[in-house]
Amino acid sequence: MSPRPADTRRLLTDFIPPEGVPIRFTIAGLGARMVAQMTDILITVAALIAIMAALFFSDLLPLNGLLIVGALLFFAIRAPYYTLSEILMNGQTPGKRLSGLRVISADGRTLSAHAVTVRNLMKEMEIFIPGTLLLAGSDLDGWTTAMLLVWITILLAVPLMNRKRQRLGDMTAGTYVVNLPTPVLLPDLADDPAADRNHTFLPHHLDHYGRYELQTLEALLQVDAGALTKTARKIHERNLQKVAATIAKRIGYHRRLTEDEAESFLLAFYRTQRGYLENRKLFGDAREDKFHRDSPTD
Amino acid sequence: MSNVAAALIRSVRFRAEREADWRALEHIVTKAEKRGLQSLTFQEAQSLATLYRQAMASLSTAREISLDNALLQYLEALCARAYLAVYAPQQQLGGLMSRLFLTGMPGAARRLLPLILIAYLILALGAAVGYLLFQDDPTWYNTIVPGGLAGDRGLNATREQLMSAIYSGGDAGSGDLAAFASVLFSHNTRIAIFIFSLGVLICVPSAVLTFYNGMILGAFVALHADRGLLTDILAWLSIHGITELSAVVIACAGGLHLGQAILFPGDMRRRDALRYNARDAVKLAILAGVMLTAAAGLEAFGRQWIQDPAIRASVGIAIGLAWLTWLAFAGRKEGRAR
Repeated sequence: MSPRPADTRRLLTDFIPPEGVPIRFTIAGLGARMVAQMTDILITVAALIAIMAALFFSDLLPLNGLLIVGALLFFAIRAPYYTLSEILMNGQTPGKRLSGLRVISADGRTLSAHAVTVRNLMKEMEIFIPGTLLLAGSDLDGWTTAMLLVWITILLAVPLMNRKRQRLGDMTAGTYVVNLPTPVLLPDLADDPAADRNHTFLPHHLDHYGRYELQTLEALLQVDAGALTKTARKIHERNLQKVAATIAKRIGYHRRLTEDEAESFLLAFYRTQRGYLENRKLFGDAREDKFHRDSPTD
Repeated sequence: MSNVAAALIRSVRFRAEREADWRALEHIVTKAEKRGLQSLTFQEAQSLATLYRQAMASLSTAREISLDNALLQYLEALCARAYLAVYAPQQQLGGLMSRLFLTGMPGAARRLLPLILIAYLILALGAAVGYLLFQDDPTWYNTIVPGGLAGDRGLNATREQLMSAIYSGGDAGSGDLAAFASVLFSHNTRIAIFIFSLGVLICVPSAVLTFYNGMILGAFVALHADRGLLTDILAWLSIHGITELSAVVIACAGGLHLGQAILFPGDMRRRDALRYNARDAVKLAILAGVMLTAAAGLEAFGRQWIQDPAIRASVGIAIGLAWLTWLAFAGRKEGRAR
């Protein structure tokens, strides 16, 4: 079958908002989540250090007391930080905003305060409390350390094990972490009917390709040649010529193409082919790719 | 096919007719994301809802009729952004907190009252067993009470040592705040966290740990009773213990509620039952956290300032009654909303 775009594996296909039209979010990658997490940890640690420094210089506490208060403060800053920022900033912590991530509710409804609280309390249980114990507790024996390490390792591996990259906290709260999509509207390549005056195609020319090839051609034609460097533009032009020649050969186009009409030929072909395929689709003949003739549904 | 070439194809017309609306929606959504929904004017807020529904309808249609990838990608992203803006959490922080304290936590406590009573019973049973075991054979004390917890109040402690521990305020000298922090991180907080979270494993660990906690308590009281300090230790315990032990019990009830979902999921899948029960269980966990913090405050400050056993006991009981009043009566009118 046709090759698929790399990120369809990470596409959330069963997310249905109340309007009943499925929205396809992409699941956040682990790298982006790590970056977000690191940023948040840095922010909380910075806040902690600021408060600790203030306490230290104000001489309110003896040194050993300061350490205990620090451990307490770290928890007292961190837990509300995540929960409140996700509630108030609409499912984002500052770190998540930086890496363009977002927490959404799996049932398609508003992300509730309850879900946010649960997923962040679970985060404490999963990582932070054992992690703090491991880092701060010098009096732990070997067994406890090993147990804590195993615990953290297992819980860090949980998101790797499931397709939707959910932590344990995400599962109990019913949330996903997704990438925030950016809406960019590229120009419509087919909105200029004058463009294909020089090229006419017959029905048998248009039976060769399907949706996949059409959209691949669209991606090539959407390249903004004005923004390319000189060498890149040369490569792009050569690509256009190569593709035009291949298509002309495959569909048995009756006329030889000159070198500088490659792009106009491709645009005309794209437009006609798209109109044709969309028409076929309306009549129930959706052609997925160039193998559509071999598939049993055809 | 020349007639196709002559006229605009259907998906192009579709896009041309609606593009202005999408752009308008994009503009409003961007504004809502940057400055919050409250920055929208009445007009904008009104058209956000309409435009959002139109865009969703467009997306649904475009998936059927259009092969224009640029359009599909744009609409997917636009609808996702608009969905997130329209269905953004709209609670105010103050409202959230007051709801949690006025109806959320007391409501959960009232709904789970049977479990809380069961947890109290488990603790009391444990205490009774610990007490009786000690009376039977005092060396049980060393088995039951972990060494670190007993400190200098071991089996061999004299009456005077115990007295001084009760009336000195323990770890004074390291500063009140530090004492507060260390108390908060003490045995009971750790126990409460475990009791709550291990409840998922079909209730057993929660019940066992609560029972064991009761045994420690019973043996501890028995030791003091043996040295003729029964009223003193009860007064000493009551000032923070009523709050602290109740917190452990409430954490236990939350854990039991989680375990209940696994044991008796009813018509739901276990996963969904767990998620459903977690709504109340988490409120109990937060309640336990609040109570533990209060108990740590009482233990670090109150117990040092108040040395008279009668006042200690009455303060402890008064605070216990205050918790009870809050949990029993707060937010009754607002009714059943979860």
